[in-house]
Amino acid sequence: MTAHVVNLVVSGVFHASILFLVSAGLQVVFGVQKIFNLACGSFYALGAYVGVSAVAWYAEAGGPPALFILPLAIAGVAAGALGVVVERGLLRFVYDRDETFQLLLTFAVVLMMEDAIRMTWGTSPRSTAGLYLTYGGVHVLGTTVPVYNLIVIGASLAIAVLIGWLLTHTAFGCIIRASADNREMAEALGVDMRRLYAKVFTLGTALGTLGGALVIPATAAMSEMGIELIVEAFAVVVIGGLGSMRGAFVGALIVGVLRSIAISVYPELEMLLIYLIVIAVLVLRPRGLFGGAPA
Amino acid sequence: MLTVDALDVFIQASHILRSVSLDVGPREVVCLVGRNGAGKTTTLRTIMGYLRPHAGRVEFRGQPIHGRRTHEIAQLGVGWAPEDSGIFADLTVAENIEIATWTRSGGRPAAERIALAYRVFPMLRRYAARKGPELSGGERKMLSIARALALDPEMLLLDEPFEGLSPAIIPAVSAGIAAITELGHSILIAESNIHHVPESTRRLYVIERGTIVFAGAAQDAWRDPSLTRIIGSAA
Ligand SMILES: Nc1ncnc2c1ncn2[C@@H]1O[C@H](COP(=O)(O)OP(=O)(O)OP(=O)(O)O)[C@@H](O)[C@H]1O
Ligand SMILES: [Mg+2]
Repeated sequence: MTAHVVNLVVSGVFHASILFLVSAGLQVVFGVQKIFNLACGSFYALGAYVGVSAVAWYAEAGGPPALFILPLAIAGVAAGALGVVVERGLLRFVYDRDETFQLLLTFAVVLMMEDAIRMTWGTSPRSTAGLYLTYGGVHVLGTTVPVYNLIVIGASLAIAVLIGWLLTHTAFGCIIRASADNREMAEALGVDMRRLYAKVFTLGTALGTLGGALVIPATAAMSEMGIELIVEAFAVVVIGGLGSMRGAFVGALIVGVLRSIAISVYPELEMLLIYLIVIAVLVLRPRGLFGGAPA
Repeated sequence: MLTVDALDVFIQASHILRSVSLDVGPREVVCLVGRNGAGKTTTLRTIMGYLRPHAGRVEFRGQPIHGRRTHEIAQLGVGWAPEDSGIFADLTVAENIEIATWTRSGGRPAAERIALAYRVFPMLRRYAARKGPELSGGERKMLSIARALALDPEMLLLDEPFEGLSPAIIPAVSAGIAAITELGHSILIAESNIHHVPESTRRLYVIERGTIVFAGAAQDAWRDPSLTRIIGSAA
């Protein structure tokens, strides 16, 4: 019984770690640019595929298997460069448009990227066969927990702390919080919104692609994985509160663990359970647990 | 320092400013006085680059700035304290002031600029750790002006610095503006209440329905009966 609970919690928190990365990207972009970026799911999928390729290339080049997480993470972060292209090439034309229009545009990006991924990597699932167990497992309360999961959980926690520190203790973070609150005033103090938007969107994209890269040793990359993740990330931000980093953290934990429980108890009801919570939050606390709170 | 020449501004289809001209010299304090809806904010927002003039020019230190983006105008040295103060709610008082030193570097060192902002509004020092929503209207106005000053600008645009303030706090804001005047900045103040026009104001413009109806010395404005109807009498 305890072994079962440990497994549930670890796999739930592992998934929450990934969800947090993607949702944090969604939140920082929403906070500053006021765009709900559905394409964060596609960035996640892209990160996964780029991660698979990077690891395959690394193995072929004869890199030590124990260090595979390095090329994986580097490739994940580097794939974030696509953010600049999407922001400068597409999004910047729609900042003054209706929110519905912006949402449709980011959805168009989702669909286009899904096809682009199929064209580049094919339609069959891709995985980093075997690497997951390179780091082995540790025995905890009668069960074996994969060390890789613990590494990812630790990395995600470290990133959460880093983002928190960035936002509260650096000039860049202060400018982000100020611009999220009052864009016009920030401009009157000399903030170049075009550059800030490009930076913030790239940061958001890199968080998503890194999430995708890190998840991939534990699962297979599939072209639909982006859409699935958007649905969950949407639940995370509604529960946590749009634009709030703390909300992304707590929301990801709730959704991640809940999903893991649901999958083990009633796999058919996974989404139903998560969205029951979403509806409860929408009814009882329409702005989410941390809604209106600082970025 | 600042020259506004024959500005015509439309907001959507309405013609809001009609051939507005004014100028502010070095170290000069100039007031733009007018009733609610006369076009004061629109004039200042056009100077700040938020609105594009349909016709006319804005020059700052000899360079045309109409058509420049707002952050460029700020970088050139124009500080802006808007009507609603525009305090960043999520930042502390200290961060609200400090941010201006990060966004525009060069010139005087940051520590000096911050110290100056507090020297002009000493009251703010006590609230350094508070956030925007915990401040009174007067404290917000002071913070807004202090922040604009921390940008180390040559020129300040203040939109109704006394609007909505309790009589108790008005002297503190006045003293701050007087201190800034001493420092040698050029200041353009929009004001709807003639009684708030600072004593150091040498020249005054009166705006009515988007048109400048008077330009000259403050005393002359008070003697003009057609103007006292618009801006109230001095007595
Ligand atoms: N966004 C807008 N859309 C339409 N009309 C506007 C807009 N902003 C301002 N106006 C109009 O422009 C005119 C001038 O407004 P402005 O805000 O410049 O006046 P003001 O002199 O600053 O007045 P107040 O003392 O109330 O601040 C007003 O008639 C106002 O209704
Ligand atoms: Mg006004």
